[in-house]
Amino acid sequence: MVFCMKPSLAIDFMGIKLKNPVLTASGTFGYGYELADLIPLNKLGAIVTKTITLEPKSGNLQPRIAEVSSGLLNTIGLQNIGAKAFIKEPLENLSKVGVPIIVSVAGSCVKEYVQTVEILSAQDIISAIELNLSCPNLKKKIVCHDLPLTDEVIKSVKKVSKVPVIAKLSPLVTDIAELALCVQKAGANGVTLANTYPAMAIDVKTFKYKLSTVRGGVSGACVKPMSVRCVYDAYQNIDIPIVGCGGIETGEDVLEFMLAGARVVSVGSASLVSPTRLIGIMSEMEEILNERKIKDIKEVVGMLNTIKNAC
Amino acid sequence: MCLKRFDVTCQIISNKEICTNYFELKIKAGSIAKYCLPGQFFMIGVPGVFLRRPISVYDSKKSVLSFLYKVVGKGTVILSKMCSGQLQILGPLGKGYDLEICKDLNYVVVAGGTGIASLHFLATKLGKNKPYKKKGTLYYGARSKKDLLCLDKFKEIGWKVLVSTEDGSKGYEGYITDILEKKVKDSDVLFACGPMPMLKKVVQIAKEKKVKGFASLEEKMACGVGNCQGCAVNINGAIKMTCKDGPVFKIEEVNL
Ligand SMILES: Cc1cc2nc3c(=O)[nH]c(=O)nc-3n(C[C@H](O)[C@H](O)[C@H](O)COP(=O)(O)OP(=O)(O)OC[C@H]3O[C@@H](n4cnc5c(N)ncnc54)[C@H](O)[C@@H]3O)c2cc1C
Ligand SMILES: Cc1cc2nc3c(=O)[nH]c(=O)nc-3n(C[C@H](O)[C@H](O)[C@H](O)COP(=O)(O)O)c2cc1C
Repeated sequence: MVFCMKPSLAIDFMGIKLKNPVLTASGTFGYGYELADLIPLNKLGAIVTKTITLEPKSGNLQPRIAEVSSGLLNTIGLQNIGAKAFIKEPLENLSKVGVPIIVSVAGSCVKEYVQTVEILSAQDIISAIELNLSCPNLKKKIVCHDLPLTDEVIKSVKKVSKVPVIAKLSPLVTDIAELALCVQKAGANGVTLANTYPAMAIDVKTFKYKLSTVRGGVSGACVKPMSVRCVYDAYQNIDIPIVGCGGIETGEDVLEFMLAGARVVSVGSASLVSPTRLIGIMSEMEEILNERKIKDIKEVVGMLNTIKNAC
Repeated sequence: MCLKRFDVTCQIISNKEICTNYFELKIKAGSIAKYCLPGQFFMIGVPGVFLRRPISVYDSKKSVLSFLYKVVGKGTVILSKMCSGQLQILGPLGKGYDLEICKDLNYVVVAGGTGIASLHFLATKLGKNKPYKKKGTLYYGARSKKDLLCLDKFKEIGWKVLVSTEDGSKGYEGYITDILEKKVKDSDVLFACGPMPMLKKVVQIAKEKKVKGFASLEEKMACGVGNCQGCAVNINGAIKMTCKDGPVFKIEEVNL
């Protein structure tokens, strides 16, 4: 007879108690409550909303989506209703879900980030802010490619935020571990690794670009090995917790990120394809933990990654 | 009827080529079938490609759900080779055609290519139910005779059928919108589904002749439920999602 106790998936993340380490990924789960009829939202570890900006944004032209091998390209252009509208109906709906709510924020300059966070972090039901630092700034440069700007955004936001602040980074940098250390030094409470990878595709049937903006971001199964590497390298350099993100589809994928050093994970493209994946992942994690006779998911975090740089 | 969506795995009953490159897929869908409205679609998982494929409901009878699709690219090629086994489906999704409006009015449907699929489902609903007193007319355009699907089904339910082919192999030679333009004044409501050039013309005709109606649009989409915001479309000056706010929109409101 096999004696099988349910392993504990509960985990503490920046002081927030989560039922499990499975989060939604920004921009792939709407404002967070829309799929309540399809999946039990209260089973999620936390909900990360789509990126909210100070003013509403209408997003980019069509086509915004293109499929590639084992993934997809997107150029949505941060379409959203803006901070003031978000704190009305969407936030009210989110307050009924019963899991921690993390709101993703972007801006084209420091002031925009700060003003948006001021509005949002004053709302009781928001547990944390995730700064989307992979969006273009006013000079059309990606924010986290500009170290002084990144430092200033985080420091300024930290001054006004009443909740923990996560920095979500673009993986396309020379040294992700160094960037992670920079955001830690600036005061970030956590770091998400990683956003999509800059990419493009051309339709050879029509000789046209597959995205209206030519370039976009690639996500899905094809990026997983690269994002696991980002987590592994950053973990050696920092003490703040990491949200692993990129191509997660199964419980096995979650554990891979956690073994490399992620404390929690966020699932994006896979939940676009099948929302119920978000829930299926959890029982798959439990099965793996049972097989390995691990009672508590916390033991897995960074288990394989024992190198710690002096930082 | 209340709206309900499902993200489930279903058994394939059959998947047959009904004429060159067009397949009719039937799946065992249990109670899901009764929640489907004309114009709604499913995201169908195809092994070997990343995203699911949006396909309209062609028919839903008892617990059987049918789709009619054309083989066009990688996903539909793989799908067409599956004769048994299981498929993951998400749906029914989106807002369908407004049937209520047809009660005492003359209605026509305009189909191009596989647009016939969702309009066939619409016709079966209009044909069977009592409140829709009048019989409809189908305007159906295709490349050639061999691309014309399920004409018999429309005739069976007593519809008037007008066809056109681009090569003249059956019916009027040219576009179906040429015929529509001349005759549309006899009808009160118009439903359209088909390729973009056809829809553009239909919308233009409907607006000019002041005939109200509905058009079903297609855009590339990743999720089918409004979350990725990939399938944005301009409706009456506002950004809407084809998958969630549509795919069926009021003709007065679309700008193609
Ligand atoms: C709401 C809706 C209902 C549809 N109903 C039907 C139907 O009943 N029967 C039918 O034959 N076809 C239908 N289509 C079109 C069908 O989705 C595409 O033909 C199919 O996705 C092509 O996939 P593929 O892998 O063979 O082609 P590929 O060109 O290899 O596909 C590459 C990517 O582009 C997308 N794509 C390609 N063509 C279209 C298109 N026309 N619209 C949206 N996305 C597209 C695919 O989904 C995939 O993500 C519908 C589309 C929409 C949006
Ligand atoms: C359609 C789409 C929209 C996205 N929008 C956002 C966004 O608004 N803000 C953000 O920080 N990340 C956004 N992302 C990135 C995801 O949150 C995630 O970091 C990335 O997709 C990698 O994870 P995945 O492979 O699990 O999808 C988006 C991704 C996709 C596919």
